[in-house]
Amino acid sequence: MTKTPTALQALNVYVSLNGQEVLHGIDLKIRAGHWTSIVGPNGAGKSTLLKALAGLLEYQGEVFLFDQPLAYLKAKYRSQQISWLGQNEVTSDDLNVWDVVMLGRLPYQDWMAVPSAQDKQAVEAALQATQASEWRQRRIGQLSAGEKQRVLLARAIAVQASLMLMDEPLTNLDPPHQVDWLEQVRYLTAQGKTVVSVLHEVGMALHADDMVVMQAGRIVHQGACTDLASHRAIEAVFDNRIAIQAVKSDWVAVPNLLRSI
Amino acid sequence: MARHTGMLYLCFMFCLLSSSYAADTTKPAQRIISLLPSLTETVCALGACNRLVGVDRYSNWPESIAQLPRMGGGIDPNIESIVALKPDLVLMAGSARGGERLKSLGLTVLTLEPKNYADIQIALGVVGKALGVPAKDSDRVWRDINAQVEEISKSVPQYAKAQRVYFEVSPVPFGAGDGSFIGETLQRLGARNILPASMGIFPQVSPEFVVRAQPDIIMVGDSNLSEMQARPGWTNLSAMRTGRVCTFTPKESDVLVRPGPRMVEAARLMSQCLVEKSAAQAKQNP
Amino acid sequence: MNLNKSNHWLFALTMLLLVVIGIGIGVSVGSSGLESLQNAWHDDVAWQIIWQIRLPRTLGAFAAGALLGLAGALAQGLFRNPLADPYLLGSASGATLGVALALAFYGGNQFAPDAFVRVGLTGAAFAGALLAVVLTLLLAKGVQHTMRLLLAGVIVGVVMGAMASLIALMRPDVLQNMQGFLLGSTAFIGWPACLVMVYVLLPCLCLAWFFGFAMDALSLGESTALSLGVPLRAMRIVIVLLVTLATGAAVAQTGLIAFVGLAAPHLVRSIVSVKSGSLALLSALMGGLLLLVADILARSLIAPQELPVGVLTAVLGGSYLLWLMYRNQNQGALK
Repeated sequence: MTKTPTALQALNVYVSLNGQEVLHGIDLKIRAGHWTSIVGPNGAGKSTLLKALAGLLEYQGEVFLFDQPLAYLKAKYRSQQISWLGQNEVTSDDLNVWDVVMLGRLPYQDWMAVPSAQDKQAVEAALQATQASEWRQRRIGQLSAGEKQRVLLARAIAVQASLMLMDEPLTNLDPPHQVDWLEQVRYLTAQGKTVVSVLHEVGMALHADDMVVMQAGRIVHQGACTDLASHRAIEAVFDNRIAIQAVKSDWVAVPNLLRSI
Repeated sequence: MARHTGMLYLCFMFCLLSSSYAADTTKPAQRIISLLPSLTETVCALGACNRLVGVDRYSNWPESIAQLPRMGGGIDPNIESIVALKPDLVLMAGSARGGERLKSLGLTVLTLEPKNYADIQIALGVVGKALGVPAKDSDRVWRDINAQVEEISKSVPQYAKAQRVYFEVSPVPFGAGDGSFIGETLQRLGARNILPASMGIFPQVSPEFVVRAQPDIIMVGDSNLSEMQARPGWTNLSAMRTGRVCTFTPKESDVLVRPGPRMVEAARLMSQCLVEKSAAQAKQNP
Repeated sequence: MNLNKSNHWLFALTMLLLVVIGIGIGVSVGSSGLESLQNAWHDDVAWQIIWQIRLPRTLGAFAAGALLGLAGALAQGLFRNPLADPYLLGSASGATLGVALALAFYGGNQFAPDAFVRVGLTGAAFAGALLAVVLTLLLAKGVQHTMRLLLAGVIVGVVMGAMASLIALMRPDVLQNMQGFLLGSTAFIGWPACLVMVYVLLPCLCLAWFFGFAMDALSLGESTALSLGVPLRAMRIVIVLLVTLATGAAVAQTGLIAFVGLAAPHLVRSIVSVKSGSLALLSALMGGLLLLVADILARSLIAPQELPVGVLTAVLGGSYLLWLMYRNQNQGALK
């Protein structure tokens, strides 16, 4: 049996924010070519962990990207290997969709930032993948929140990195588009890319390949999404207010009502 | 005081030297622009009123300059208007950027800002020299002024002397200190200034200081009087209560605050005030 | 309005044309009116008025406005805040303090030789602006956190402004001159001043254009920009430097002219939608045009007297922005 390569590995990672320790001794392995979901209650440190893995935060400990120490990678190389989709912090209204997605090609452009033919192809592909091609000339300020989110996703896809880290990528997306995103992730992993997502929606997260369950700055459980142990871990960190059950061939999270009405 | 005069004399000689370096001082100036009212009056006192071609917007004496074009203010002179009049001498106060600009355009600029009697005497000499007025004539103007002020001070009766005076120049409040020309006039008239020379020439005073000092007589422009009365504790000042406040019309204020040839008039106004208000007091306390 | 790319060029060319026309008008108006222009060929003084007074002043007004407009666009991009203006880092108060100190030491005092005094005021304003920004950077411990930078800038601005006021009150002769400086004026711009501003403007424009991509990335969010490999720290330092240089150069020559830096980028964005690099360049053009027109109006409306140019920039820029707000409200669109 071939050993699946590790895309990301964290060893004894500690992160402090504003003088307070937020992540305590994280040990983590993310399988390459698979989709890993990080779940946990609010304040568990999911986003912080993701940012540290992306190299966007200072951390103590080691993080390895495809067995290379993250800290020693050149910024340009790292930006080509990792694509980050953060929570929406867009302040400009004036950029048009094409320009926004083209920004995803910055890791491949030199100082003059002139788009090459390859860049244009990548942008086209990303726009098609998120069904945003029609809006290419529209200003981002004119889009609805959901449309904006799809454009930002296209921007992340355009980087064509082998590792994609996404923090709450389903924000503002209605169910059909959430399903689109799901299909998109499957397509990306089928191409051999690695996806790590922080998701609020436990039901969506259960569709991933692997799961990382966090609570209070620690990892409580790592394992396949189909493992029952993973399900019990999820239920535990949410104080058993949800129950994970099988519906046909899927796992879903249903509310666990304590009080009968 | 003597040391001060010496320093200032040095200042002005330096100023005269450095500004006349670029200019031809052998020819007396024929087209003069003045950007400071006191310098306008100085020029006229030296008999060169007809050589003025432009003045600042605040210059308003003598009547003969009423028709002259206005070149803006001392701080914001209109460079183009000034240059267009082709002056061979520009008189202005202190260091404004306007002065630098005019000098860079090749004009002869004299900056003078007299603060006391010694300065005024020097200013008369410097301006006189630039105008080609013989030194003895400018000296005579100065001696006349001095003599007239002396006469006025001699005519101040005994009961009007040794009054403690507060002269307010502007409503911040800024007062006239002992070292200013206003203060010196008051001294010569026999009055005492509640603002000693150590506070500066035109110090900004704290209203509380004036209340503590309890001046006998207050001198102020009439437009500032109501503001003065609104200051806490001031209506209780003995000077206020007994009406020993001299107010001056804007025209009179102009005379009082300009360090120029009308100092005689200023001395007269101040002595009238002293006499009037002391007489009132003398009547009250026989 | 949402114009596409070809119209960006149209917009820029139209503005350039307006600027050229403006320069022509600027050279023709003034206290002596058109006759100076007509007499320039045979009258020395008229020639001096046109070439030594009106032309450098007109070009200088454009250059100062361009510097402020550019600095405004950069500041708004750096702080990711549409209300940012180039004076936010404390440079305005620093320049004021520099001028106050220079006036206090050399102003009423005739000791200083001419050349020193001439360098003194503009040099002091520039040095003061630089010092204020350095203090801001020290206080904010670098450029990493824009919120801290903003706060530090405000603090430094307030403190230095208070110090300047203190000096002005202790020395009433300084107070008057400083009020002139604070009000802002294009009246004293000669060739040296004009050229200094142009020499600062050109490299600033180039650098702003080059860093356009980084500013665009930054508008997507800090973490996104970092993940794209944008050298955020270096970029912030460069932008702060550019803003300081441009603002300092303009303020040193013209005093504090309000509103141009704040309004120019908004005026541009109300007509075209452009990326950050183009926005910086077009803001410079717009700011220059704004101050150019304000300068012309300042000296022609009540000629031979002059209005303060800062009042006119506020009226011109402000009324256009008010009209925009009114129009947007009526159309129900959110800007």
